[in-house]
Amino acid sequence: MSPGARDVLRGVAWISPWLVGFAVFTLGPAVLSAALSFCDYGLLDSAVWVGLDNYRELWGDPMFRVALRNTLVYASASAVLGAAVTLGVALLLERGLQGAALVRAIVFLPTLVPVVSACVCWMWLLNGRFGLVNQVLGWAGVEGPNWLGDARWAMGSLVVMSAWTIGGPVLVLGAAIRNVPRALYEAADLDGATGLRRFGAVTLPMVSPAVLFNGVMSVIWSLQVFGPPFIMTKGGPENATQVYAVYVYQNAFVYGRMGYACALAWVHVLATLVLTLGLLWVGKRVVYARGA
Amino acid sequence: MSAGAAEVTRRAFLGALAAAGVGYAAWPRKPRGREGVPAGRVVIEYWEKWTGIEGEALQAVVDRFNAMQDRIWVRRTAVSEILSKALVAIGGGDPPDVVGLFSFSVPQFAETRAAWPMEELEADFDGGKGVGVGAIDRGAYAPAVLRLLSHGGKQWAGVSSMYNLALYYNRAMFRAKGLDPDRPPRTVGELDEMAARLEERGPDGRVRVAGFSPRLPEWWPYFWPVMFGGRLYDAEGDRAVLTDEATVAAYSWVQATARRVGVEDGRDFAASFSRSFHSPQDPFISGKAAMIVQGPWIANFIARYSPGLDYGAAPVPVAEGLYDPDQPRGMLEADVLMVPRGCRHPAEAYAFVRWMQSREAQEDLARRHGKGSPLREVSPGFRAGHPNRVVAVHDAITASPAVLVLPQTRAWQAYADLMNGMFDAVWRGADVRRALGDVERRAQGLLDQAARLRAKRGGAGGGA
Repeated sequence: MSPGARDVLRGVAWISPWLVGFAVFTLGPAVLSAALSFCDYGLLDSAVWVGLDNYRELWGDPMFRVALRNTLVYASASAVLGAAVTLGVALLLERGLQGAALVRAIVFLPTLVPVVSACVCWMWLLNGRFGLVNQVLGWAGVEGPNWLGDARWAMGSLVVMSAWTIGGPVLVLGAAIRNVPRALYEAADLDGATGLRRFGAVTLPMVSPAVLFNGVMSVIWSLQVFGPPFIMTKGGPENATQVYAVYVYQNAFVYGRMGYACALAWVHVLATLVLTLGLLWVGKRVVYARGA
Repeated sequence: MSAGAAEVTRRAFLGALAAAGVGYAAWPRKPRGREGVPAGRVVIEYWEKWTGIEGEALQAVVDRFNAMQDRIWVRRTAVSEILSKALVAIGGGDPPDVVGLFSFSVPQFAETRAAWPMEELEADFDGGKGVGVGAIDRGAYAPAVLRLLSHGGKQWAGVSSMYNLALYYNRAMFRAKGLDPDRPPRTVGELDEMAARLEERGPDGRVRVAGFSPRLPEWWPYFWPVMFGGRLYDAEGDRAVLTDEATVAAYSWVQATARRVGVEDGRDFAASFSRSFHSPQDPFISGKAAMIVQGPWIANFIARYSPGLDYGAAPVPVAEGLYDPDQPRGMLEADVLMVPRGCRHPAEAYAFVRWMQSREAQEDLARRHGKGSPLREVSPGFRAGHPNRVVAVHDAITASPAVLVLPQTRAWQAYADLMNGMFDAVWRGADVRRALGDVERRAQGLLDQAARLRAKRGGAGGGA
């Protein structure tokens, strides 16, 4: 055996616990779910082959379209809002202001809060009658809506809430901002660039790979959103917050339609893949690669 | 390390650690699963949904069973999202011995044969294997209750508790508004009239105290047709029934109520209590709603959080022409006990379920939960000593020939979820007939699909 092959074998041996775990807990279930998506299976009984019936049913299922549309709206809105807030906060934190370290810790704190606790807090904050948000608006003479109980506001409220957990992306972007060479700013200063021009010509291009990374991760996570709509709105009102992952869960574990849920899940995987590849393709054209 | 101090070598440290590990492993002790279990008992695992005071009440009944015999030990575990977890546990081949589900779970478990029918358990395990073993006396159930437990001609579950909804009203608020506290509304017209008198608005014009709202709570958007003679589901033909005149009238009334209280205001008011039910902030308990449709369990929460509340209850008001004091209307639902196939101790599980069907156990749990009895006859002292002062109202609904049971179909959960969206749309002003027609068509699609799959599987478990 050549030394190279021996090295490969040794490497595989070292990572074999992970490989076994991946095969048993990820690859195996994924293959199984792909097979089950062609079956009628309700967990309690044996699977019955139904061919493409589950996929055909998707196109006639109005709730599938509602869930897909809502999820895309949520993912795109929360990705855009998250990117803007993240960029703003990261830029502020990197200005070297007093107390920046404390603020950075505070910004990261929500990431550590369990999702259920966070959702319950937000439900009280957004409560139409007794919530702090509407109390504050009331002091300014504005009558706030029923954020979670009104179909026109519910999805927007969840999107705003999603911008609360930006700790991770802020750290990534902060590191990228700190890595921008000082020489570039000095050159820009010599050219007379200030403020917005410095940001547009130097900072943004140099941190654009980090922005793209955050954007892709945000879209992937947002497409899988489950906790907040499940806990806070149960998909209502009027299905305004019925999202894809909740619909998959309902079919699998409430309606007992695991086969159909598997078909939904595979469409979800494909949609996520297409969107991610699309974002990376766009990224290739707009991201300044040498900034990486 | 300073001179003179005792040195601990790495070998000594590791040796001590290994000795401690071996000592811990070899130390004689009971496995965690047997802690607190008297010697010689068969332990059966019982998953149930209730927590808090309702969980404690059930535990007291379980404790009685554990104390009255020396062969079986029931270990109750409170499980949230119990249906999902039961599906996974049973599908994964590691179910509990007894699982507490809902009456709407019966068709699903029956058609997939995921539970043991009681008849098979009786046949297999009758004959002195334990306490209280013997056939269940089906004649003892109120007739509607047996319908909830059965599917395809077999009984798939025992009952743990049964309930129906009634109109609870605040007698003190009735008096304050010049209404007779002994004369709650009987018809929908009277309900609307009294609700309007009981309603209070703040200086900003918003509802401060609701007279009555079909959004309080928002848990049963499917209930209102009951008050108008609607039925939701035709079990004989396996048809969704939502566009009959009674159901259209019911949701037209919901829409008219929305207009009366204000579409936005009524919705906001109800939404502000969405997480407050069964707490001191519960709208009825805190005096923010004068009338509310609720189950008998509310009495327990009133006793706990507002014992001085002067309340009464009556069967839900009905449409003009339907009122009959001898045949109150309502819809029956039940919490059920099933023995999953593949469980470790079906004989002992059956013994427990069988005991739970006894009048003694049922009345004990019903009393502790503030509920009525699911049995046809009750002991002489049951109502007299009952902590829910209006339990007779619930009992009368249970015994009424006009009572409906929750639609017994495997597709009910998805059907009910469709009605949530429809209710919101109707409240907001959507065309009632069109909204109902849309849900009926989609619900029928679910029912047809379930029937097709049933046929494909060879009709296992029987039909509806």
